[in-house]
Amino acid sequence: MVSDSTALAGGARASGARASAWAEPATARAQLPDARRWLQLGLAAIWLLDGILQYQSFMFTKGFSQMLAGTAAGNPAVIADPITWAARLVADQPVATNAAFATIQVLLGLGIASRRAVKITLAASIVWSLAVWWFGEGLGGVLAGGASPVNGAPGAVILYALLAVLLWPVDGNGDGARPAPFVAARPVGPAAARAVWLVLWGSLAYFAVIAANRTAQGLHDMVAGMASGEPGWLAAINRGAASLLDHQGLAASIVLAVLLAIIAAGVFLPPPLARAAVVLAIVLALVIWVAGQDLGGILAGGATDPNSGLLLVLVALAYWPSTARPARTPEPQGELA
Amino acid sequence: MIPAWILDIFAAIMLVVAGLSAGRLAIGRPGSRVRPDSDIDAAHVLMGIAMAGALASSLHTVPNSAWVVVFAVVTAWFGWRVAAEVRVQGAAALGTGHHLPHLVHGAAMVYMFAAVTAAAQGSGMGMSGMAAGSGSMGTLKVPTLGLAFILFLAAWAVWDLDQIGSAHVRVRLPRLNVAPQPAVALATAGPAMPAGTVAGTAAGAAAGPASSSSASAPAETATDWLLDPRVAVACRIAMGITMAFMLVIML
Repeated sequence: MVSDSTALAGGARASGARASAWAEPATARAQLPDARRWLQLGLAAIWLLDGILQYQSFMFTKGFSQMLAGTAAGNPAVIADPITWAARLVADQPVATNAAFATIQVLLGLGIASRRAVKITLAASIVWSLAVWWFGEGLGGVLAGGASPVNGAPGAVILYALLAVLLWPVDGNGDGARPAPFVAARPVGPAAARAVWLVLWGSLAYFAVIAANRTAQGLHDMVAGMASGEPGWLAAINRGAASLLDHQGLAASIVLAVLLAIIAAGVFLPPPLARAAVVLAIVLALVIWVAGQDLGGILAGGATDPNSGLLLVLVALAYWPSTARPARTPEPQGELA
Repeated sequence: MIPAWILDIFAAIMLVVAGLSAGRLAIGRPGSRVRPDSDIDAAHVLMGIAMAGALASSLHTVPNSAWVVVFAVVTAWFGWRVAAEVRVQGAAALGTGHHLPHLVHGAAMVYMFAAVTAAAQGSGMGMSGMAAGSGSMGTLKVPTLGLAFILFLAAWAVWDLDQIGSAHVRVRLPRLNVAPQPAVALATAGPAMPAGTVAGTAAGAAAGPASSSSASAPAETATDWLLDPRVAVACRIAMGITMAFMLVIML
């Protein structure tokens, strides 16, 4: 494979004089992506994973359309009726529609990974995410009364759209004068980015203490119900977490809400405390992702995405306070090609 | 059950990858009898054929148990190559060395074919591909390992794609008729960079048809195109995604 370095190195030895024209180690070092690009690549990888998961055999059956139709339950008619209509459409042509869904998501992943296509693909991913959030997730259940940070509220797919906005490739730093204090501030400015963070984590704090989640066995049942079909180690984590939550629903939901509220306020604090809040957000998101969401249920089969935990980690990383002026690397758009 | 035509499309892509890699092996690089990375092309040929055979029931290759042995050897080979890189460059070679993805590809193939073989023996049915049901859901007995492979393969495909654009954008390339030789310098660059990919794609950006200098360059031959490093990277991306697809439907 010529793409690999030893092949080229061999070629270099064969024509050393010409090789000197290529010896640009400094340039090569610059090819390490900056923080925002790393996060874009993380988002791309998750989209690619989503697309591949969508190719599972279950998705080509009527079961998938029934799963979509199920998200209409509890929603107001204005939201539920289009979901039911879309589910009927999928039920009529399950193979064609699902093949299209899967391919679109694979292309979104590949497009974001490609520097030439990142901007248009991020824009397309926002449109696609919003459509799926409505027609595929019933707005994440936020209007249906059963949403919880543990089960993926406010809907994993809306976080894709949020990340596409926060990781939008722009040259400036948001306020046009000073360096952006964190990656997410670059496209929208620090104030707007902090407001987005506050709304996101604040709403999660709210969902943690809604009536359905305050019941004595609410969280226990949610976590215990995940164990079915999971590998032994993950099921054991579920059982352990469920035993901790047994008849402790109210206390657990309050503790969770307090932690989420601290995180929500954290980005308004000085950088050392903001960093602590981001670390707390990452740890909490990972705990929820593993113990509450079972890695999105991928290992049990039939999952369409890794759920919200992993995406919350990406969001949190986009708010990591920077210590220095961000690298002003060229934007990965067509003008650089 | 996944529609057969989808499996056939993936199988066709794998046959194209195998064909391109076989072409690269056959052509080689002028002036040298054996290209240093012929082993990678050979591995791609084997993997492409094996995966196409597993995906499409109409294709018959060697028995799956034989593929397990073949890819165990391939994995051991790339394990040795990675170990050699680590001896020279230290642990950083795991980030910069370019054999790591091929080692993982080989290990994933062993894992996949071992699981399919075991599933077929358990069910007592003959197997001639996933379309026949041998690679259906629940086939993988250690799904956590399968998920680890899937995540690695997806992440590396994304990284490869990014680096193609990165090299194309940032390296100021000489004209097309200058042979692509930047690997020595580029291969030792950044600590977390799979240098082979960068080096290769940097060279490919010069030699490839989409190069900014292509307008003024002499027409490329089919050989030049086939030896374009971006073709090899594209093969690796296609292979990684197809492998991840196969693992997902076996979870």
